[in-house]
Amino acid sequence: MTDGPLRVMVVDDHPMWRDAVERDLAGAGVEVVATAATGTEALVRARATRPAVVVLDLQIPAPNGVEVTATLVREDPTVRVLILSASGEQSDVLEAVKAGATGYLVKSASSAELLEAVRRVALGDTVFTPGLAGLVLGEYRRLSEAPAADADDTPRLTERETEVLRLVAKGLSYRQIAERLVLSHRTVQNHVQNTLRKLQLHNRVQLVRYAIEQGLDEELG
Amino acid sequence: MTPSQQVETTLFRALTVLRGVVTVYMLVLNILRWDELARPGVAAAAVVFMVCWAVFVSWAYDSPRRRTLGLYVADLAVALLMMLSTPLVQSDAMLDRHASTIPSFWVMAPVLAWAAGRPWAQAVGAAVLVSATDLSVRTDLGGNTWGNLFLLVLAAGVVGWTAEVLREAVEMRAAAERAAAVQQERTRLARAVHDGVLQVLTMVQRRGAEAGGDLAALGRVAGEQEAALRALVQHDARTLARDAPPPGGETDLMVALGRLHPGRVTVAGPGAPVLLPAQDAAELVAVVSACLDNVRAHVGEEARAWVFVEELGDEVLVSVRDEGAGIPSGRVEEAAREGRMGIRDSVCGRMTDLGGRAELTTGAGQGTEWELTLPRRRGTT
Repeated sequence: MTDGPLRVMVVDDHPMWRDAVERDLAGAGVEVVATAATGTEALVRARATRPAVVVLDLQIPAPNGVEVTATLVREDPTVRVLILSASGEQSDVLEAVKAGATGYLVKSASSAELLEAVRRVALGDTVFTPGLAGLVLGEYRRLSEAPAADADDTPRLTERETEVLRLVAKGLSYRQIAERLVLSHRTVQNHVQNTLRKLQLHNRVQLVRYAIEQGLDEELG
Repeated sequence: MTPSQQVETTLFRALTVLRGVVTVYMLVLNILRWDELARPGVAAAAVVFMVCWAVFVSWAYDSPRRRTLGLYVADLAVALLMMLSTPLVQSDAMLDRHASTIPSFWVMAPVLAWAAGRPWAQAVGAAVLVSATDLSVRTDLGGNTWGNLFLLVLAAGVVGWTAEVLREAVEMRAAAERAAAVQQERTRLARAVHDGVLQVLTMVQRRGAEAGGDLAALGRVAGEQEAALRALVQHDARTLARDAPPPGGETDLMVALGRLHPGRVTVAGPGAPVLLPAQDAAELVAVVSACLDNVRAHVGEEARAWVFVEELGDEVLVSVRDEGAGIPSGRVEEAAREGRMGIRDSVCGRMTDLGGRAELTTGAGQGTEWELTLPRRRGTT
């Protein structure tokens, strides 16, 4: 993390939203180093400006938000992607999170919430919504029920992680969860982070395995 | 070229092959009986003319623009003329043994051309005309003549009828394809419009909440409309993608819950449809709705609530949580004892009727949390 103002890029194909988000962030002293309306623009401008955080709408002209997330994180593992989506919690949100996004916020959130989310994502925290917690729990459950579930590399949640995620899904804040489970705020945050990390790692392993099976490793290597 | 013209062209190409075959047959037949002919010179001219005509008319029929009534009439007239030339060319001996006319089966081609391109009744008319002409050049009737003529008239009718049905079917399919394309374009445009409307409604909701006062109320209404429109659009998209609602009278619980107080209530779920028998789903949604009404009554109109759906193997677990002051412990039991069955009746009782159970976790300052557990019924497919 460099000193000075936080460097952020805003990606949204709606000028109204792009401007509003940019204005909110700039007003709070965040430096918006670039904006983009399409996936291609986002990738090109991210390479040129190296933002610390990318605030990304999932429904943008190709390549879509999920692909952009995967490419951004692959090219610069230190970049943080915060999904700001108008769509309810649909499967593409889960895909973006598996591809490496560490935060998710719905567009109806207030400017204060947006600012808070950008700052926390920049610090390496994960920003969850109840909807995203439900999706992540569902994904773990599907993985554990899949035919290949007995394989050692199938990610699993610990009991504590499941407990924490369920409380997030029920709308409790990290602070409320910490109180209820008698944990520190940091510990709750770590549990939540781990649930995503395991999922993202599994996703990468799956992609590499797929690439090897398809004989793409030689071309890529 | 219209779709029906394309079909016609295909039929005429098939007819060109047939015409080639019957032309070769006519050629070989007349060469084999050359010595018997009374006037070989006239016969040679007729045969050469028929070969040339076959080539010309096949070319002419290949374009819809050239398939005029004149062409059909000329084609038929040539056939009739060639048949009428038979008595001039053939010897008496040949006529006596019912030998084929000079064009022989060659006359089948013009009749089938009428069948392919004209209404079926006209095709039958052409066949009858050819038959009558054939009969007129014969000294007496016998042999296979009747059978051949019967088959010719029958073929004209059947092929004419089939070609007509085919033309109609192709036109209908083309119309359906056009309608589908128009619908697709409308859907694409609607998606763009919907997306724009959703974005604006979300923005109004956000700005309204920040501005407070009257604008906050406006923002809240915008938020509810946004959620309702989104549910509609997503439901449409899902239904279209699946081509049909969930099978066997099942309901997606997530879709049903999404309709409850959008904006005020956050619904979280596993990200895949949670299918339940329609009746169970409806009753479960009614119970959740009763819980939410309870939240409104006890915590306030603007109270937020969270609904969380989990699929745990054989059970579906729905949690309903609010952030109110909570019900002090003992109050639910107390109410039940006093005969005021409010919550217990509408939640616990209904869940028990469904074969499930309801648990209430509450305490002063912790809000209220219902956990509704519904076992999946066996035997539903």
